[in-house]
Amino acid sequence: MLRWIVWRDLLVAWRRRADALSTLFFFVIVVSLFPLGVGPESELLRSIAPGVVWVAALLASMLSLGRLFANDYQDGTLEQLLLTPQPLYLVVLGKVGAQWLTSELPLVCIAPLLGIQFGLSNETLVILVVGLILGTPVLSLIGSIGAALTLGLRGSSVLISILVLPLYIPVLIFGAGAVEANIIGQPAVSHLYLLGAMTVLSIIFAPWATAAALRISIE
Amino acid sequence: MNLYKYASPTNFYPLAGKLIPWFATPAAILFAVGLFVGFFIAPPDFQQGDAYRIMFIHVPAAWLGMLLYVLMAFYAGIGWAFNARLASMMASSIAITGAMFTFLALVTGAFWGKPTWGTWWVWDARMTSTLILMFLYIGFISLQSSIEDPRRADRAGAVLALVGVINVPIIYFSVQWWNTLHQGATIRILQKPTIHGSMLWSMLIMLAACWLYSVAVVLIRVRCIILEREQNAARFAEVTV
Amino acid sequence: MNWPDLSMGGYGFYVWGSYLFSLFAIVWELVSLSYRKKAQTQEKTSRQVLRGKANETTS
Repeated sequence: MLRWIVWRDLLVAWRRRADALSTLFFFVIVVSLFPLGVGPESELLRSIAPGVVWVAALLASMLSLGRLFANDYQDGTLEQLLLTPQPLYLVVLGKVGAQWLTSELPLVCIAPLLGIQFGLSNETLVILVVGLILGTPVLSLIGSIGAALTLGLRGSSVLISILVLPLYIPVLIFGAGAVEANIIGQPAVSHLYLLGAMTVLSIIFAPWATAAALRISIE
Repeated sequence: MNLYKYASPTNFYPLAGKLIPWFATPAAILFAVGLFVGFFIAPPDFQQGDAYRIMFIHVPAAWLGMLLYVLMAFYAGIGWAFNARLASMMASSIAITGAMFTFLALVTGAFWGKPTWGTWWVWDARMTSTLILMFLYIGFISLQSSIEDPRRADRAGAVLALVGVINVPIIYFSVQWWNTLHQGATIRILQKPTIHGSMLWSMLIMLAACWLYSVAVVLIRVRCIILEREQNAARFAEVTV
Repeated sequence: MNWPDLSMGGYGFYVWGSYLFSLFAIVWELVSLSYRKKAQTQEKTSRQVLRGKANETTS
């Protein structure tokens, strides 16, 4: 069931490539705006790079959340998925997994290029990518709770942001903290371990909350 | 005496009405006493002079903001788990008061920071955590006001509040860590003055006053919510005369 | 008991400002609640009147 859901969602996303790509372009554009806003001085850019890249990743993740359940909700597929004998936990895990593959993984892949724009060293880029790989699943998982709660509401995209961004803050702090630690020569491992811990906890608990929220939204 | 009958909003309405004065009057008295002790009996602080007296409203407000969030999550959880309408109404009622106190903590914190440390806002661990708590409250209130069906709003709010309350320690820890890392040479901000006996008493009395006030206001608001939602209950008309 | 220095050692604006703001917040909460209550009871009595009139015509 899990494999089927992931495969189906990937297929749907492939047919609507523009959606996933637009998330990617949003990420790139937002990151590129900051040098334009603060000036091209390389020292300054290197010091704000971790925060900028991570905040842009947070915002881009949030944009892609709206699509997670909305399309299936509108054509009735979601209701059918709720009625299957398979646990809803697996359905949610599958959908979130597919969303991570289509929306977050491109971000992770393009992040090194953006890091180079900000003058980060190779080692720092590695930490950035590893941090994103460990942290973006949490963004997808916790974001799915917000997406499920706001299903079908007017103005849901802004509402998701309000609900979910405060919960993203620990990921931001440790993700950006890891990169920053590496820049100043401190070990970043502890931050990455904590990110990993958050991911594990999210994988275990978040789909359960999302499933409950889906049942509430669809009754 | 069967207490369970008060789980029905219709029956709770008059009970709440009778309880409100029992909380409101002591609250007013304790506010007066607390402020009296704080201003007339507690001496000026060695480091901060008289500016520290903001603490008597700032600290209770901050504590109450946090306490009310946990209480709100508790009521919301009960309302969801037992399908108890009244518990969910209590949660919705608490949310606004909690948000008010959190906002008050932020503003009085800024007023306290300006004379003692020179700036209106500092990104220290406590103020930042209070700001994030404010966001969590805003999220809860926004979600509930965006959903038209009251039962769906109750349950969705419950999920959000429970996720929030579990995340609060994680957020607090990460903000603490973030702050100590970035502090460098700056001194610990908004350090509480070395507590003199009368200062501690005043703070505790003000805390009790704020707590009693919260209970009274939450009961008043929950009566309004009951009125708004229980329009069709036939017996309600007689009870709310 | 010591009479407090009303200017709070120069910090008067901040101390009294905070307390004034707190008072304002409390008053706002109570006033908005009383408005809400008033609106609700008015609506309720008007609905009762309508229901009463409907009962009259059907009986």
